[in-house]
Amino acid sequence: MKWSRTLTITAIGALGALGFAGCSSGGDGEGDTAGSYEFAFVQGVAGDEFYISMQCGMESKAKELGVTVNTQGAEKFDPSLQKPLVDSVVASSPDALLIAATDQTAMQAPIKAANDAGVEVVLVDTSIEDPSFAVSAIASDNIGGGEAAFKAIAEAHPDGGKVLVVSVDPGITTTDQRAEGFEAAVAENDKFESLGVQYSHNQPDEAARIVTASLQKDKDIVGIFAANLFAAEGTATGVKQAGAEDLTIVGFDAGPAQVEQLKAGTVQALVAQEPASIGEQAVEQAYNALEGEETTTEIQTGFTIITQDNIDGDAADAVYQSSC
Amino acid sequence: MATPVLKARGLNRQFGHVRALDNTDFEVYPGEVTALIGDNGAGKSTLVKALSGNLSVDSGAIEFEGKPVVLANPAEASALGMETVHQDLALAPHLNPVQNVYLGREIMRSGLAGAFGFMDDAEMRRASRAAFDDLGATVRSLSNQVGSMSGGQKQAIAIARAVHWAKKLVFLDEPTAALGVRQTKNVLDMIRRVSDTGIAVVFISHSMPHVMEVADRIQVLRLGHRAATLDAKATSMEELVGLMTGANAGDAAA
Amino acid sequence: MSNSTKAPGMGPETTAIAGIDAKETRFTKLARTQWLQILIVLIAIIVLFSIAAPESFPHWGNVRLIIQNASILAILAVGMTFVIVTAGIDLSIGSVLVFSGVVAAMVMRAMGGDGWGTAIVGIIAAILSGIAWGLFNGLIITKLKVPPLIVTLGSMGIALGLAQILTGGVDIREVPAVLTNSIGYGNVFGTVPVISVIALAVVVVGAIILHRTRFGLHTFAIGSNEESARRVGVKVDRRLIAVYTLTGGLTGLAGVLSLSQFSTTAIAGQTETNLNVITAVVIGGTSLFGGIGTIIGSIVGLFIPAVLQNGFVIMGVQPFWQQVAVGLVLIIAVYVDQVRRAQASRGGDAGVWRHLLARRRG
Repeated sequence: MKWSRTLTITAIGALGALGFAGCSSGGDGEGDTAGSYEFAFVQGVAGDEFYISMQCGMESKAKELGVTVNTQGAEKFDPSLQKPLVDSVVASSPDALLIAATDQTAMQAPIKAANDAGVEVVLVDTSIEDPSFAVSAIASDNIGGGEAAFKAIAEAHPDGGKVLVVSVDPGITTTDQRAEGFEAAVAENDKFESLGVQYSHNQPDEAARIVTASLQKDKDIVGIFAANLFAAEGTATGVKQAGAEDLTIVGFDAGPAQVEQLKAGTVQALVAQEPASIGEQAVEQAYNALEGEETTTEIQTGFTIITQDNIDGDAADAVYQSSC
Repeated sequence: MATPVLKARGLNRQFGHVRALDNTDFEVYPGEVTALIGDNGAGKSTLVKALSGNLSVDSGAIEFEGKPVVLANPAEASALGMETVHQDLALAPHLNPVQNVYLGREIMRSGLAGAFGFMDDAEMRRASRAAFDDLGATVRSLSNQVGSMSGGQKQAIAIARAVHWAKKLVFLDEPTAALGVRQTKNVLDMIRRVSDTGIAVVFISHSMPHVMEVADRIQVLRLGHRAATLDAKATSMEELVGLMTGANAGDAAA
Repeated sequence: MSNSTKAPGMGPETTAIAGIDAKETRFTKLARTQWLQILIVLIAIIVLFSIAAPESFPHWGNVRLIIQNASILAILAVGMTFVIVTAGIDLSIGSVLVFSGVVAAMVMRAMGGDGWGTAIVGIIAAILSGIAWGLFNGLIITKLKVPPLIVTLGSMGIALGLAQILTGGVDIREVPAVLTNSIGYGNVFGTVPVISVIALAVVVVGAIILHRTRFGLHTFAIGSNEESARRVGVKVDRRLIAVYTLTGGLTGLAGVLSLSQFSTTAIAGQTETNLNVITAVVIGGTSLFGGIGTIIGSIVGLFIPAVLQNGFVIMGVQPFWQQVAVGLVLIIAVYVDQVRRAQASRGGDAGVWRHLLARRRG
């Protein structure tokens, strides 16, 4: 029958095209030269400059060590989207899994299962409830970062005032710690009052909405701390929409859009993590584990405070990359 | 004269400023084929809707087999044994002819299976096939979707459905409107067969030739009122057109 | 048997009635169904990936995880098939899933304990929450005559908002161990995931109801021509409410199953669930315009994105290509449905592909 022939040809043709696209863009995950390791990096979400910078750090370290890194990430920061990815990654039998978990409880079992299948696990950025089986957990000193963010606000407003935290979702270890550090620092300072923590679910428009609403309610907010990249983007937009002035916004993360906002003056300071360093160290730890060498269970990386003053000088390198 | 299956006297229905039915009368006798004709806007569809329970009337009396009735909804008309085939045929295009004939009135299996919703497909197929054959309906396949069939087949299925369930009377609204020559012939034959079984047929049509070919009696509506009721054999096209347009005043000269 | 009264002199049909004169066997009819054609596409994809990655892809260890991850979506797809067959749609399933999980988690936390007693109460609570939302959707759609797209868009927001209010935005991370161990990650015969067995049962029962019972027939009738169904006496409103309630109940079940897999209410999760399920159902051959669809098609449609993602990840393909691929398959599936509908309304029953690829006759 004509239809069956044409259908099969069309299907195979289409898939052949896809497969070709795949081979040309992804790299040969199956090319095994003796002794070269294959790592898989599962980002928290695809398209986020923080994780892209991390990927760049990983790829440069990997090149040094003769390792290949396959990077995957879901469209949204969502454990129901990340779990199938992790399961698929495990099927490709990588030597190590480097992962930023999207939920400390939900991803516990899938990541443990990967480990049980013989894959070494390094946790980057966010962690899980019980990371004891992992080779290493590498993240910024998020508590310190939150404290530093408050310090920047306190310096800009010596008379004190109200402050607000725009975070992502409760349960994400990193942003929770940043908020924790910030709130602890606020508590120690009598001049400042905290309006609490709001959650923007990693959506910039949600953050903008939260900020405009809060500014409507409290016209005397002097400082807003946005706990991650998307939150910072949205916060700046929200402040601009509300037309508020003399407000200090400190954002976490230094993606290109945020650097634009910093240069334009909408955001006053950025707490930049060192994602590339996290990535490099993650690859190193995994490599050491596979080679039977010593590893470090917990590594805290530092941060840089970027302001208009140092953006073109010392802090230029601290900006995140959009591509490697 | 025998008791009419359906009789209406003095029906009135207004839509806003428009008087759709103006003191209209109507009757139809068992086994009779009566055609309802009239110009556009004369009230034919409105009358059929009122008589089939799809529309309420402002005033007037309807009698079914001599007893007064109020037809509040189509289900009540069905219960009395009257079925209607509307112009759009009311068929579900994705279902096959058998499913369409039995839609809403499926035969269930007995016992527990029936209680769980399982139907007796074999029996419904058999009965549908018999219904189609009795009417000479050309339905090629009982398992293809109705939507992919020709207008003639669809019309045949819709009429067969109505006849299958109707005990006393069938309303057909423009049954030959969209059909070709051959298919029209089939439908007119079907109408004759239906009346031969003792079921009365009331059909609306714009086509004088078809009306004169198959009807026993012709009722002419003009401006919501019955202008005349005539024996089909005893009239002519000129007379009918005249009654429809008012050139000929007819019985109902006010 | 057919035309017994022929007027003298009337020859063969002067108008074409149906396009095909050839006898139609059940096999050729089957071969033209969309779900079978989609299944062939799925098999082609599987074959291609098996050739491209033979050590990783075609192994039970990998396949069982694909099936496990598709299980919750499969349960949702059963409900969504019913809904879309009626020419409706339900955007609220992700939010209702989260809400039901929250209700179940709160009830189980209040009861305390780690055993089946608590778990069963939680399961029932989740299903009841789902049913409540389904009832809500169904009533507003039928009684207030608001289009399903709008209603479920609204309930999508309300359900998620309520879930956040109930928990104060903080996930509940205490789930009875028995749920996680026996259902979430439990296996029968040592390696077939329990959650997939549950999904299979739902799929089979769903298919029987849709394709073999009067309820299913009326579902198709309503999607095919709601007005006509009403006129012949089908209780359209009641059926529609039942369909949405059924979907709600299945979503509630999915909610507690998600709890068992993730051990947390994961309020921030299920962000793309509604669209993923709708995509699966449409790829599988269910028409968004109603009247046509199969459960098995929806399940096959579900596996195509799942297998594509799995294969691409194993091969190391960038994530964005996966989305491109799924988007393409979806568009092709809808196009095929369009052609099929146009074909049907023009009165021909010739195969879609024959139509697409046939040369024009002079």
